[in-house]
Amino acid sequence: MNRNGTLISRVILLALCVFIAQALAQSDIKQAGVCSRCHVVSVLEWQISAHVEAGTNCQACHGPSAAHVANERNEVSPDRLPRGKAADGLCSSCHTQGCPSTKQTSDCTTCHNQHSLTKPQQIQSFEGDRSNHPIHQEVARLAKFREMIERAEALAAEKDWAAAKGVFEEALQLRPGDANALQRIAFCERRLSPEMPGFEIVGEEYDDVTGLPFEVKVAGTDIVMRLAPGGDFDIGTEDFKESQPVHTVTIQPFYLGKFEVTQAEWEAVTDANPSEHKDDSRLPVERVSWPDAKDFLSKLNQRVASHGFRLPTEAEWEYAARAGGGLFKGFELARYAWYRENSGSSSPDVDFRKIDTFSTHPVGEKESNRWGFHDMHGNVWEWTSSLLKPYFYDSSDGRELPDAGGHRVMRGGGYADMADLLHPAIRHGERPTRQYRWNGLRIARDVPAANDQ
Amino acid sequence: MAAAPVLPAAAIEPVKEFRRGGMVYRQLGNSELYLSLLSFGSHTDPAYKVAAKHGRVLNPEGQERRDRQLARSFDLGVNMVDTYENNGQWEPVARVVKPRRDKVLVSVCRQFPMFVGENIDRAAKLYGHVDLYRIYLAAGKSVRPKDLEDWDVLRKAKKAGKLRTIGISTHSEAVMMSALEEFEDLDYVMFPYNFIHARTDYTDFIPAARKRGVGLIAIKPLSAGSIVNLDPLALPGTKPENHNMRLYRDNHRPLPPAVVSELTKSLKRMPDETLCQAALRFVYTRPFMAAAMPGMFDDYMVEDNYQALQRSLTLDSDEQSTLKAARKLADAMGPGWLPPHYRWLDREFRA
Repeated sequence: MNRNGTLISRVILLALCVFIAQALAQSDIKQAGVCSRCHVVSVLEWQISAHVEAGTNCQACHGPSAAHVANERNEVSPDRLPRGKAADGLCSSCHTQGCPSTKQTSDCTTCHNQHSLTKPQQIQSFEGDRSNHPIHQEVARLAKFREMIERAEALAAEKDWAAAKGVFEEALQLRPGDANALQRIAFCERRLSPEMPGFEIVGEEYDDVTGLPFEVKVAGTDIVMRLAPGGDFDIGTEDFKESQPVHTVTIQPFYLGKFEVTQAEWEAVTDANPSEHKDDSRLPVERVSWPDAKDFLSKLNQRVASHGFRLPTEAEWEYAARAGGGLFKGFELARYAWYRENSGSSSPDVDFRKIDTFSTHPVGEKESNRWGFHDMHGNVWEWTSSLLKPYFYDSSDGRELPDAGGHRVMRGGGYADMADLLHPAIRHGERPTRQYRWNGLRIARDVPAANDQ
Repeated sequence: MAAAPVLPAAAIEPVKEFRRGGMVYRQLGNSELYLSLLSFGSHTDPAYKVAAKHGRVLNPEGQERRDRQLARSFDLGVNMVDTYENNGQWEPVARVVKPRRDKVLVSVCRQFPMFVGENIDRAAKLYGHVDLYRIYLAAGKSVRPKDLEDWDVLRKAKKAGKLRTIGISTHSEAVMMSALEEFEDLDYVMFPYNFIHARTDYTDFIPAARKRGVGLIAIKPLSAGSIVNLDPLALPGTKPENHNMRLYRDNHRPLPPAVVSELTKSLKRMPDETLCQAALRFVYTRPFMAAAMPGMFDDYMVEDNYQALQRSLTLDSDEQSTLKAARKLADAMGPGWLPPHYRWLDREFRA
């Protein structure tokens, strides 16, 4: 009987672990980021722990460990590998009252695995009424929480945003600080009040996660922008030296121009058109320097009731260009991009094709990427707000300072470039004053809060 | 220009070099490339040229001679060949270097009026990749906006792995200085440099280029073959590019006997060396120069230029006095010792 009981409790625990792991895997694996590529077991253990709910991630205990991440040969240890008293110290930094179960303040790892926090044999030896063990209480609370979330999601599916929000808020009482519940509450609030200052909503498509409209128009202009949902992605590539190493970057949701800024849009704001090719007002504006782009945005911000229009950071640009996936295959490129192979007129002077043979094309003639952005590759190079600095990308290290000197990063490739340069990760540092015939831009904006003015 | 002390070699950081067999190899600026100090220029023999669609190209006999001279140069350790499509040399060079592509560096110059990106693509397809790609910049006070756009294309092509190093060639020092300022990622400059046209020894260009890690390659190290015009002991069969310019045959201008006599005496003190060899050794011995790139279109030129490397890379006193006497003769002759289409050398670069 005792043996059967042990077996049953282990099976239940295992099933519990699997259930929790599956439920949380999608979001948590992203939180674990690059660690999960190698430390599969540790991350899986961590995923079934309460640490996930508390927002305690790998870096909280092991430090940023950037050098460890960058060193593929595993010659560099993480910044911290807490053992024994060091581990106890880490535990007590949050658990100031000691162990929730035993009130013990030291030797935590005698009972708890450092990642999963549990050891079946230790739970099995718990004396007294097993249903009173904290883990069973937690399981019951979780079950109720999930039931409420399901109910709220059903209401949301029926577009009863107010009711759904209420149930999400009730669920939040059971798990205060639950990131998913908080996000869904924000989602319901967005759907209840979708308007955003400075934007006019286009269409009926809304993001399932944030509740934000996918497509908007800048008020009083013809500039259309689309939502780039937030998330983590791997920036960079091993193919180009300046784009190494590949590392994970977190992007907040933002809006990005559906198209490159056209000559008509530029002219409407600045009353000028610096472009080389002027056959069609839907052609992307070019011969634009970085200060020109800043000036354009400044005027746009003055014109639109709410401010906040800016250039995308290079990380945002690459995130939107990848659109949740990888790279176009070579044979598909012509469907999405204008580049040297297809941007030229068929000149009879085939032996000596001149630069004038090639030109920009009206925006939006090629297919969009998965997130609805057109011409992310080819047509014109696009200025970003970022200074050219080595990776790792860190927006707080001064590379996004608008007044700092240095080369600014351009992205995307242009109509006169070879296919190899239309890679989403390729970075081209350019002097801000350069006004080449392939230098254009695309605008970006943070998701405005409803009360922005 | 008034005589001024020659740029002290010790003042300029020498480029890294090593010797293998009879050849010296020097690093090109801060790049990964090591060029043979004697490299093969792009000019082809005008005596064997015929008109073609995009310029004058070698006839079959001339091409056969050039292929032979290229092959011999590679055997001697020359590892860089410059090609110029207007001379119809892209395909022939590709054919010759193909069996030893991993050992030979191919240098290409962009062609007008073709878009530079298109030109790079074609070169990359033909050679697999291009080791040195340059644009020629017209004379002026500075680089032009159009040049900046072309340079942007070069930088991107290098990023994409089509080009290993990117540079310029020009016949104007003002443009060279401007390029140092305006062109990011500049790997090398090809510019006229020889013992007469060494004005850059007295200006800021060479120190500025070295400070930025820009490699220096001497073109016209024999004044487009015209140095031989100054040589009173030139052997029968030696060929300047322009046969009409033989000073000792034609009556362009009376030669000052004292100056000729001084040069003749100096040359006789070094019986194993011609004036052209001494001139080439002047360039070889400059420690900041990665390579000298004379045009070679006769078998003896390849051998002579190689032999000039087979001794210490220091000019001895006889060589120095010979070059000094030759400078005097060139001064006495005015621009007349150069063919008309090369007299810009005196205007732009004479020291």
